[in-house]
Amino acid sequence: MAEIVLQHVMKNYGSLYAVNDVSLTVNDGEFVALVGPSGCGKTTTLNLIAGLLPMSGGDIVIGDRLVNDLDPKDRDIAMVFQNYALYPNKSVYKNLAFPLQMRKLPAEQIDRKVKEAARLLDITHLLERKPRELSGGQQQRVALGRALVRDPAVFLMDEPLSNLDAKLRVQMRSEIKRFHHNLNATIVYVTHDQLEAVTMADKMAVMNGGLLLQYDTPANVFANPVNTFVASFVGSPAMSLIPLDAVTHGTEASLRSPEGWDLPLSPLNARKIASSSTSKIILGARHSTLKLHKSEVPGSVPGKVYTVEPTGDITFAQIFINGAVVNISVEPSVLLTPDEQVFIEFDQDRMHLFDAETTMALQAA
Amino acid sequence: MTIATADHPVSRRPIDGWRWAGRIFLTLLLIFTVMPMIWMLITSLKTGFAAMQYPPQWWPTEPTLGNYTRLLDPTNSVGQEFLRYFWNSLWVSTLTTILAIVVAVPAAYAFSRFRFPGRTVLFFAVLLRNMFPAVIFLVPLFILMRWLGLVNTHGSLVLTYLTFGLPLAIWLLKGFYDNIPIQLEQAARIDGATRLQAFLFIVMPLSTPGIIATAIYSFIGAWNEYIYAYTFLTRHDQMTLPVGIQRFFSENATDWPGLMAATFMMSVPVVVLFLVLQKYFVRALTEGAVKH
Ligand SMILES: Nc1ncnc2c1ncn2[C@@H]1O[C@H](COP(=O)(O)OP(=O)(O)OP(=O)(O)O)[C@@H](O)[C@H]1O
Ligand SMILES: [Mg+2]
Repeated sequence: MAEIVLQHVMKNYGSLYAVNDVSLTVNDGEFVALVGPSGCGKTTTLNLIAGLLPMSGGDIVIGDRLVNDLDPKDRDIAMVFQNYALYPNKSVYKNLAFPLQMRKLPAEQIDRKVKEAARLLDITHLLERKPRELSGGQQQRVALGRALVRDPAVFLMDEPLSNLDAKLRVQMRSEIKRFHHNLNATIVYVTHDQLEAVTMADKMAVMNGGLLLQYDTPANVFANPVNTFVASFVGSPAMSLIPLDAVTHGTEASLRSPEGWDLPLSPLNARKIASSSTSKIILGARHSTLKLHKSEVPGSVPGKVYTVEPTGDITFAQIFINGAVVNISVEPSVLLTPDEQVFIEFDQDRMHLFDAETTMALQAA
Repeated sequence: MTIATADHPVSRRPIDGWRWAGRIFLTLLLIFTVMPMIWMLITSLKTGFAAMQYPPQWWPTEPTLGNYTRLLDPTNSVGQEFLRYFWNSLWVSTLTTILAIVVAVPAAYAFSRFRFPGRTVLFFAVLLRNMFPAVIFLVPLFILMRWLGLVNTHGSLVLTYLTFGLPLAIWLLKGFYDNIPIQLEQAARIDGATRLQAFLFIVMPLSTPGIIATAIYSFIGAWNEYIYAYTFLTRHDQMTLPVGIQRFFSENATDWPGLMAATFMMSVPVVVLFLVLQKYFVRALTEGAVKH
């Protein structure tokens, strides 16, 4: 087991920066999820750590070795690929044995390790089959098995669950988590599903356009997103973002809507506004922090019901506030009709303020 | 599936008409291609006298294998020559095939996997050669061979056949490598293989059908080639079969049964090759078509 350190890692294809100055440290035994939308550079980052692509700049350290110029085979890593990449002409047994054979282990040791891994993943009865004779979930296990037969220092996984159906995905999610727990392995796990990242990882790294935007525990990323992109990417339904104008008078501040209402801010939020250079603000709020009222209360703003989606134990609704769509959740007992006028109360301690120009979160001075 | 079944009764009738037309057309085509071969076989079993009879004997009254034994008997002059031509052809074709594969496999792999400056230009340059009919290059290549001192050697033929065969071989094989996911090699490299080992252990076995198909193409191309062999080689002891067989025309009038027997024997290696490797060949053609 080992830690991984990325320092100013770059990868460009001509003028396209697939990975742009990414620095992060994965501690020994940590489970880190790399998340971001399609094409943001997740796979590229993983391939750089694996040594499958040459870097355009920066350093990568695995354990205590600088691995910049090491071949993939010498980096002591194992990888699970997005499409599993099982060797189609080899049986499951030979797929699992291949990494051990390449390391010239004695035959009886190979046999023992392969059978042990097969037992762990419950694929013993599949050992003689070819990959194409397996279901998606079984292939996934084999891919996982091929990675863990030889106790590498680091596991790299590229969207290993993306090809599975929803039910199997949830099941495999907990299996991978338990596997991480049992082996205390260092894992870098790529996914574009933020829910997977939040539920599985110790830390998550949010990427967009080749840049690493935020690297923190899922709870911190959820609570303190650094910019509007992270804010709307993490959490489901997405955080609602409402563009507004800030108005300050003395130490007090409020957010003003062209629709004619004013939302006074708490002292802490007022200090955030004071520290920023612009008056164009984006107000962010998660559905769970919003309270719905049928009549006006202090600190609430008017909105209009757009759609209502009952899910059984909770009802989601979309409300138009100042031209923006705001997601809220209410008790199923609350009855809402489209176009109904409602009032939304914000939780001042759990609201987010972003600079509309830079999209960065405002910090209190 | 349900949609297909629902459509079936509607579309069945018109298709049947076409299907029968197709069958008749294919049967005619089959007769057209197979008849000469059958006639060749029948003639090769006749005596010289029977072959000249008119109206022709559809089946020889006294079938004989004499023509074959004469060709395969190294003690008489005809047999000696035939076996020499046969051997020459085999040597030239095999050498061409081996060299074509040895060069085309790494070249096609490089074209498929690596991005290097001039890649596209090079690839089209390779194909450019195939856009012109072979005869156009006859004189330039002859001059080139004379300059290289290769006229009247088998080397001149091997070299020439490679200039025809290689572009096609590279192009065919590149299609194969394009269809093998790069992740397989990456997985192998992470599992402890070098680039070369990943290629040898993982990619090569997967591309065997392609390599075999390409080899068959190269072999048949070289085996059947006539014009260049006719132009570059003048010495009897070096001639290949397609050229050598001509000699049956000139010797004491045309020996039709002998010629037919020789022609039949000439097609044997190709047919055998095809039958043995057919399953790879078909797999190669269909696998290239379907993306996995
Ligand atoms: N060989 C290449 N040549 C040029 N551009 C490339 C190459 N490989 C990747 N890219 C580009 O680099 C960017 C990052 O690609 P990458 O595969 O890392 O995305 P990803 O985050 O894994 O996306 P996904 O979730 O769809 O798998 C993309 O814009 C992609 O188009
Ligand atoms: Mg990817």
